[in-house]
Amino acid sequence: MLEITGLAKTYPSGVQALKGIDLTISPGVFGLLGPNGAGKTTLMKILATLLEPDSGRVAVGGVDFINRKMVARRMLGYLPQDFGLYPTLTAEQTLNYFARLKGVTDAKERAALTGALLEKVNLGQARKQAVGGFSGGMRQRLGIAQALIGQPKLIIVDEPTAGLDPEERNRFHNLLSEIAADDTVVLLSTHIVSDVSNLCGQMAIIRRGEIIAFSTPRAALRQMTNVIWETNARREEVATLKSRFKVISTQSFEGQVRVRVFSEQGRPSADFQPVVPTLEDYYFSLVNRAESVN
Amino acid sequence: MNALVSQPFVAVFRTEVLFNLKRVAPYALMILFSGNALLWWGWGPAITRGWAVNSDFYIIRLFCGFSFLTLPLFIAVLMGDPVIRDFRTGVDPLIFSKPVSRAEYLLGKFFGNFFVLICCQACFALTLLVLQGFAKPGMIVLSTRLWPYFQHFFFFIVVSSLLFGVVCFTVGTLTRNVKIVYALAVSFYVVYIAWQTSIKGLPVRWRIVLDPLLFNIAALSFEGRRAEWLNQVSISYDSDMIINRVVMLAVSLLCLTLLYFRFSTTERAKADDLASSQMSLLNLAPPFERLYHAPEFSHAPESSEPVAERTAETVALPQVAQVTKGLRAQLTQFAAALGVEFRLLLAERSLAAIAPLVMFLCAFELAVYEVAPEATYSAAYARRTVDALLLFLFGIAMFYTGESIHRDRETRIEPVLWSTPAPNFALLFSKFAATLLLSLSLITLVGLAAVAVQTYKGHAPFRLQDYLATYALILVPSVIFMVAAAIVLNVLLRDKYLTYAVSLALGGAFYYLAGQGYHHPLYNPILYQRWTPFDLVGGGSNLSLILIHRVYCLALSVLLLALALLFFERKSTGGLSDGSRLSSKGWTLLTATTSLLVAVLTGFIINSRA
Repeated sequence: MLEITGLAKTYPSGVQALKGIDLTISPGVFGLLGPNGAGKTTLMKILATLLEPDSGRVAVGGVDFINRKMVARRMLGYLPQDFGLYPTLTAEQTLNYFARLKGVTDAKERAALTGALLEKVNLGQARKQAVGGFSGGMRQRLGIAQALIGQPKLIIVDEPTAGLDPEERNRFHNLLSEIAADDTVVLLSTHIVSDVSNLCGQMAIIRRGEIIAFSTPRAALRQMTNVIWETNARREEVATLKSRFKVISTQSFEGQVRVRVFSEQGRPSADFQPVVPTLEDYYFSLVNRAESVN
Repeated sequence: MNALVSQPFVAVFRTEVLFNLKRVAPYALMILFSGNALLWWGWGPAITRGWAVNSDFYIIRLFCGFSFLTLPLFIAVLMGDPVIRDFRTGVDPLIFSKPVSRAEYLLGKFFGNFFVLICCQACFALTLLVLQGFAKPGMIVLSTRLWPYFQHFFFFIVVSSLLFGVVCFTVGTLTRNVKIVYALAVSFYVVYIAWQTSIKGLPVRWRIVLDPLLFNIAALSFEGRRAEWLNQVSISYDSDMIINRVVMLAVSLLCLTLLYFRFSTTERAKADDLASSQMSLLNLAPPFERLYHAPEFSHAPESSEPVAERTAETVALPQVAQVTKGLRAQLTQFAAALGVEFRLLLAERSLAAIAPLVMFLCAFELAVYEVAPEATYSAAYARRTVDALLLFLFGIAMFYTGESIHRDRETRIEPVLWSTPAPNFALLFSKFAATLLLSLSLITLVGLAAVAVQTYKGHAPFRLQDYLATYALILVPSVIFMVAAAIVLNVLLRDKYLTYAVSLALGGAFYYLAGQGYHHPLYNPILYQRWTPFDLVGGGSNLSLILIHRVYCLALSVLLLALALLFFERKSTGGLSDGSRLSSKGWTLLTATTSLLVAVLTGFIINSRA
């Protein structure tokens, strides 16, 4: 169980990245959704013991992550958003190095673990390959492999699928869902909504340093049933529609614009048809609502 | 010729100059060359031999020496990789998809970097020119002169540099492997000396025509002349010298033409085809410069199963024991980090050039100059290598420690490393130990080279204990101090280039002050000019003071390391105690205090006895 209480962080520049976050996350894959600059990476860095919060508490299984960093690091697997590896080391050497840093002192155990990890992330045949020659997807999979060393209780993956091709993304999703063991929290930070809908049992939406929603993808979709409407409009009509209805998204399609509208009071007008809601509708409706409140 | 004035040429040229303006290398070279000029002006042979420091003869002598010593390596640094850089960073398709011809691109690249090189080298000539206005006691200075500096600079340095610049540029561009360029630069000395030896029997005329650096011109033309005559002689270029320079220009042009015809802007499909057909290739390029192709990830469908089903195949991870508490576990983590750090240092490209160069220069000095016995021959040889090595070890401590400390951030592996349960000392001191290990390896290699030269010259008896005493008492503690100082500077300043600048300034100030006689042991941790071989192996009275000073030096080093650990950016513990025991921060503070006390105590003793 990951418990976050009153977590706040303001950077020296005056940017208030987190404004008292409260979250309780049970084991499984948890999705943290938010637009760029919402505070996701700041939250991830604090959880990964790399950044000091101004106030608040983080605990995993009762262990205080803010004041007992070295104990926390034993329970942690971290895959940052933007990370590198030593290009001259091979995949095997890299994992072996991280295993030693994580305290796997027995050489035989280490060899078995690195071998299994490489197989798990489908890099078994590239084990002797220098990491510098890896593709983005392979590098990302090696990154998740190092995060899995030492049976971590909290695995943090920050924007892991950004820049991956569809096949690699799929592969990565399967890996993540596979590693969410009974007592492990996998915290997935992303701005790609489909990542959350594919993977996560629970989710939260963060915006401007605040949690604006906490739900499960299933409950979120239920909330959106019968309130999402869609029509095809000419480009010049979009501004009018935006002024009349709660437009949550627009998408160019075959020379026209497909407009999705949120309406709890039934069909907005005769041109609109009811559609099956997606998690993106939930996300955009919340973010737009928060924008309009501001 | 049109390429030289066309817009794309100017754009490429300008970009290269701008790029170099943002690099540290040109500025470092300018400082180094100016320092070199200052050194040769004030501490060269001019005063003792009665040569005027701004006579034609002396200017040419300095320029030829400058070319010989600095030309190959520094030209390789600037001229070896301009095109390789484009391919490495992946900007090449963006450039070659524009209407830029091969000639415009290559000439823009070459002349942009060559211009920067010449500007750097001009610092040497300009410093000498400015120094005419100053004179040390006993120094002869003729009336102020301007033209000879420009004339000889162009004739002796620019033309020689052009040839070597073209060679480095051509080799680097065609092979797309900068290691080959560095290897070429390092092997230059061997090839050049062998060439000089082979043409020694030829008439003077041919020796001038066939000498690419005109290195021997001063010795060949003015050998045995009196200082008064040399100071007054006005040197004009004879036909042999002009032929030599014309040949150099012609060879440069030939190389550029060859490059133009051989250079290809396309990917090397041939090499890739060969690689994919499972043939073994000798490829010196580091793997990340090659195009990676893994058969298991090819775009061809591997099986008809959907991806999700295939990758869902579960691989059970074995249960492993994790030990991160206790000294033994932490030393294991330190050893792991040290192993990787040392391996990464050995993979530094510059090392392939620097290590052989250091060995060559140290051995060259011992081989060429007479070594008089000081206490013993072995002690004298060891002392000579210590003097030569100190400067290089300072450079290694400064540059490689900086590389090591900032590498994790530059490669963006830092957040991953810092989230592991490795203690701060393992992450920080592994970098210290790796640089130290590198320096010790170099000391060992130079020591072995010195032993080889001593044996070759028949200066018996060979006494291993004299080498060991000299290196263990003088070099090793000094290196420990220099690396520790570099570590703490990098941690405190947090910027690699700022640290380089501060280190260079501190080193330069120390060297200058020591030259002025300010080398009291209290502020001279490397004991520069404060010992002789007699003190170490000849029963001199200074041995006990030297030993105390070494304890002082080591205490200062420990203090610096403790400070580095205290100010290390990665935070792990808050308080001084962890329950009933001292925390790592508490231990660090205790160590810092103890080492400070030892330094103060030994400092008092040194001050009272020095």
